[in-house]
Amino acid sequence: MKLPILTIIMTTIFTGTMLTMISSHWLLIWIGLEINMLSIIPILTKNQKPRSTEAATKYFLTQATASMLLMFTIVFNAMHSGQWTTTNIDPNNMIVSLTMIIALTMKLGMTPFHFWVPEVTQGVSLMTGMLLLTWQKLAPISIMMQMFTSINPIILLLIALMSVLVGGWGGLNQTQLRKILAYSSIAHMGWMMAILTFCPSLTMLNLLIYLMLTIIMFTMLNMNTNMTTLTLSNLWNKSPTITMMILISLLSLGGLPPLTGFLPKWIIIQELTKNNNIAMATVMAIMALLNLYFYMRLIYSTSLTLFPTPNNIKMKWQFQPKKRSLFLSPLIILSTLTLPLSPVLSTLN
Amino acid sequence: MLKIIIPTIMLFPVIWYSNNTMIWINMTSYSLMINLMTLPLLNQAGNNSNNFSLTFFSDSLSSPLLMLTVWLLPLMIMASQHHLMKESLTRKKLYLSMLISLQMFLIMTFSATELILFYILFEATLIPTLIIITRWGNQTERLNAGLYFLFYTLIGSLPLLVALIYVQISLGSLNYLVMNFWFQDTSSPWSSNLLWLACIMAFMVKMPLYGLHLWLPKAHVEAPIAGSMVLAAVLLKLGGYGMLRLTIILNPMTKIMAYPFIMLCLWGMIMTSSICLRQTDLKSLIAYSSVSHMALVIVAILMQTPWSFMGATALMIAHGLTSSMLFCLANSNYERIHSRTMLLARGLQAFLPLMATWWLLASLTNLALPPFINLIGELFVIMASFSWSNITIAMTGLNMLITALYSLYMLTMTQRGKFTYHIHNIKPSYTRENTLMSMHMLPLIMLTFNPKIIMGLTY
Repeated sequence: MKLPILTIIMTTIFTGTMLTMISSHWLLIWIGLEINMLSIIPILTKNQKPRSTEAATKYFLTQATASMLLMFTIVFNAMHSGQWTTTNIDPNNMIVSLTMIIALTMKLGMTPFHFWVPEVTQGVSLMTGMLLLTWQKLAPISIMMQMFTSINPIILLLIALMSVLVGGWGGLNQTQLRKILAYSSIAHMGWMMAILTFCPSLTMLNLLIYLMLTIIMFTMLNMNTNMTTLTLSNLWNKSPTITMMILISLLSLGGLPPLTGFLPKWIIIQELTKNNNIAMATVMAIMALLNLYFYMRLIYSTSLTLFPTPNNIKMKWQFQPKKRSLFLSPLIILSTLTLPLSPVLSTLN
Repeated sequence: MLKIIIPTIMLFPVIWYSNNTMIWINMTSYSLMINLMTLPLLNQAGNNSNNFSLTFFSDSLSSPLLMLTVWLLPLMIMASQHHLMKESLTRKKLYLSMLISLQMFLIMTFSATELILFYILFEATLIPTLIIITRWGNQTERLNAGLYFLFYTLIGSLPLLVALIYVQISLGSLNYLVMNFWFQDTSSPWSSNLLWLACIMAFMVKMPLYGLHLWLPKAHVEAPIAGSMVLAAVLLKLGGYGMLRLTIILNPMTKIMAYPFIMLCLWGMIMTSSICLRQTDLKSLIAYSSVSHMALVIVAILMQTPWSFMGATALMIAHGLTSSMLFCLANSNYERIHSRTMLLARGLQAFLPLMATWWLLASLTNLALPPFINLIGELFVIMASFSWSNITIAMTGLNMLITALYSLYMLTMTQRGKFTYHIHNIKPSYTRENTLMSMHMLPLIMLTFNPKIIMGLTY
């Protein structure tokens, strides 16, 4: 795609999300979401393959449905409460709270509306998939964080629990890396939404750490354009350092202490326990182990075993790496080694 | 405590910046110097603890385990020299870095005051061990072994995290020094039973308890020698240490909840000892013997009498040294004939007589011969369990008999009898190997003269 066009589209995507994040009037929020969705469609179809077109269609249909549901909820809310601000949704209005959650979780790709996430992520290129799983989450989560007091916690907790389960079990049978990262996104969204009604700043913390880790994973996979577990097993030959970084990042994504990925899980379990949700905390923690299992499979094939290769693979012509990776090193350090800095969180609001 | 932790962390630059020929020498000598600095810790006040800071402390329970951990690092390094000879330099340094990071986490685990810090470091020890087992193990089964090890431990310990957070919220603090004085009994019986289970299961998996022990033979057998040594000697004791620390908050539920576990342990002791009699794989035999000894420790901790705690601590230290020594001996066999089958290398006494002495001493300590500390530990535990219930003597006595049987079986199978013909050209024992064995044996012998330093909290 020509650079000026790409710049315009990227700016539009940015503008859409920013518009959603800074508004307090529901109409502007909806407009921002629509701008975002429409301008990401050309990015999804950048590849010009039938699979990308299919992915873009699925994405468009789901997101448009969610936007329409959101519009319905906005108008309904305006009709019943007479105002358009985000923070004053009436939590006793059952239709409003239910459809609001449905619309926003459909945007985010949480169960039971998660079916589009693996297929759309698989149909597009790695960097576009990264955009899909990271930037596109910002707008809906910012909406949910503005209105968290009016969300029905039972429904949200149910959706979050189901997302963690589906994200764990769904990723077990996958070898395509983009689908694995899509199911990981579903599971992490579950963790983020579970704590929303109790302490939304933890949603933000989990989101930040998840974003960092996903950006790292996609960037590292993009360096050698690895899209399957099989191609990943040849990575030890091309760049062993990336192999080690994938190990650490995946262990952090799985939530193993002493890496930073453990921090959101720990604090979310703490907040859930403080609110007497001990069973939920235990179930979610144990289901996160399913996620860890398929990350361990990836780790085994990349760094801990040497895939049998014929000898001429080891002597492949090694070109200079052309793909730039901005901020990869600081991001890796931030997302794996900062657990000792966790007392910093007490200074946040 | 930083005077031990920071030198251990500084071993990383020692590895990476040493001259290529000096890596092993530097590592071994500096870790031995760290040993020297840890020795003063053994001077413990009787009923109090040395509180170095708000985060680290050492008392009579944690200081022998700390001493064991730091003592093992130079031994692990010495034992790994042979199998890492053929690897490239970066891989050698990576292996040693894994050992150092494991060591660092272990030292911090044994000296942590805050129980959540203990939990984080307890889990943190999993990652280097996993990497050592799966990356540097020798057979295909190591992949399965790593997965079993990781997931068994994690499933047991995630409920522990939730339980610790719950206790922190209801009590106010999880600092061990504070909890000693603050603790109140929990209220409702049903949820306090669940709390007890959540706290204990993590350590039961780690010890391991008989029904949850499947990961142990896999992990111990497939790990390289340093991995086996640290697993058998220290990582198993993490479970015992954790249980001993948590008994304060687990009263009074332990009186009722402990029954199924004590029964499992007593039965499992005999079962695993009997399995040892039928093993063909040498490392597997030593692994199952670890399960059997640790079952005694679990029984002791669950019975909560002063003598049983003394016996548990002494048995943990004694078993750590003995088991590690047996793994080193098995490894010296493996390096010569590249097989763990006992049948393939018999009659070694004719070829390696000094090594046969170490085999004899290791087997004798394994079967708890007087006057070694193994006997002190086992005797205290057996006496405490007899006073708890007279019937247990049948099972513990039977276990001691079967332990003697398989230890002597192992000894006579590998050392005595007619040698096999294909082992004519094995290399004689290296000085490094003899040093290794003597450094395992000397603490065992010397502790016989002053066992009170390893008797733990209730001496």
